Amino acid sequence: MMRASFYMLAAASLVVAAAASLSQAESAPAAPAAAANASGLDYNFFKTRVQPVFTTKRPGHTRCVVCHTQNNAPFHLVPLSPGSTTWNEEQSRQNFQLIQKVAIPGNVDSPIVHHPLAETAGGDPHHGGGQQFESQNDPAWQTLKAFVMGQKA
Amino acid sequence: MFRTGLAAFAGIALCTLAFSPLAAQQSKLRVIQTNFAGDTIHIIDPATNKVVGTFLDGIESAHGIAVSPDGNRIYLSEESTNSLQVIDGKTLKTTKSIPLSGNPNLVDITPDGKKVYVAIALSYTDLSEFPRVKATAAGGVDVIDTTSMTKVKTIALKGGVHDLNVTPDGKFLVVGNARGGRANVMTVVDTKTDDVSWTMPMDPSPSPMAISKNPDGSTKAIYAQNGRDNGFQVVDFATRKITQTIKFAPIAGRENPYGPPAASHGMMVTPDQKTLVVNSRYNSAVYLYSLPDVKPVGVVNLSGKGAGWLTITPDSKRAYIANEHTNNVSVIDIPTQKEIAVIPVGFAPARNVVWMAP
Repeated sequence: MMRASFYMLAAASLVVAAAASLSQAESAPAAPAAAANASGLDYNFFKTRVQPVFTTKRPGHTRCVVCHTQNNAPFHLVPLSPGSTTWNEEQSRQNFQLIQKVAIPGNVDSPIVHHPLAETAGGDPHHGGGQQFESQNDPAWQTLKAFVMGQKA
Repeated sequence: MFRTGLAAFAGIALCTLAFSPLAAQQSKLRVIQTNFAGDTIHIIDPATNKVVGTFLDGIESAHGIAVSPDGNRIYLSEESTNSLQVIDGKTLKTTKSIPLSGNPNLVDITPDGKKVYVAIALSYTDLSEFPRVKATAAGGVDVIDTTSMTKVKTIALKGGVHDLNVTPDGKFLVVGNARGGRANVMTVVDTKTDDVSWTMPMDPSPSPMAISKNPDGSTKAIYAQNGRDNGFQVVDFATRKITQTIKFAPIAGRENPYGPPAASHGMMVTPDQKTLVVNSRYNSAVYLYSLPDVKPVGVVNLSGKGAGWLTITPDSKRAYIANEHTNNVSVIDIPTQKEIAVIPVGFAPARNVVWMAP
């Protein structure tokens, strides 16, 4: 009797679990979109808005792309192809993967946001590439922050 | 009468000084300061401790620098182009860009000015999975012949090379294989053949170094920082043994733990061979040791932070320390052990060198 009850309970649980799983599957987005947004970071925003920050020359500064494709900084970018001023699709996809080491979705203290900002503006005490952004009002810095906070293109 | 005579004597003395070869030489003495994250090179006049000019405006990621003995050429490695820039000392314009075998770091020159050596660190492909470095990674040293202005050889070495120094007698090149893929070795190259003469295990590898000489000019000792510890080691060149390991204690309230990882980076022996000057990036301080006994004689706390490199004037009296974190240069008076000036420069000031302008 007890054993029969146990089997009935187990069967009922399986039915409930299967129903819940089916319900989740129906409400989940299509597989490709889920992959693109799995990190909470938007690839197209990264490609069109963030990557140009890395190649822009700011007065008095070395461009981000110079150091972050060469030396032993923890954050690497793919080197630009000879003669190119930006990255192709494949390279951008690689960069999108690489930046996820320093961009924590929804975290404004992510290294990509905090590290290049001047200490006087609330950033880290030191960035090997200098204080690229003197103020949180800098549009380029705001772009990095918006990316981490999940803004879409 | 006495006062008039004194004034006349002083006037004559001043004129003599003003037109003496020594005064003329000192008037041409400059300190060249690179800025790793900046986009120009600064020139400092040690007489006033002011920036008196810039050159190579627009340059990105300048790394090593050396000057020819006559001051007519400045050699500067540029990481962004994997090249050695040859700059005319009179015009301060690049006369040649020499392609290198990889990512260049430190540069040094033989006393006769005939060869320039360029440290080659690991490339992006070696470091793309940093901090894991690929097993096959290798760096080396590029040899530049300054007559033909060409790279004549690459000395292939295990591990990326960050630092190198030509010995004062010019007979050897001492190499620290320490930039990525550390080989935990110090390599000594015979400059006559540009082949490896001997190696010595050191864990971690030397990075950076200074060298003292015996009265006959031969190499006495290598002083080696190591990219990790806050201090340095002393290597007796003749016996090839480590004779001292010195670690700096933290200075309460001055701890500066923010990168790069090397807690002590930049050291030099004064030209008179009496003092070893050593940076502590972690303590934002400079340590002075008497030589040859390597005894501590003083510590100078710096106004700036992140001491990352230094150079010393030919009279052995002044040290110029690049404060990487605060974008300025501290000037230390070595005899009085005082900081006497702080000079604003570019972003992340790095290597510097004393230069007698032609």
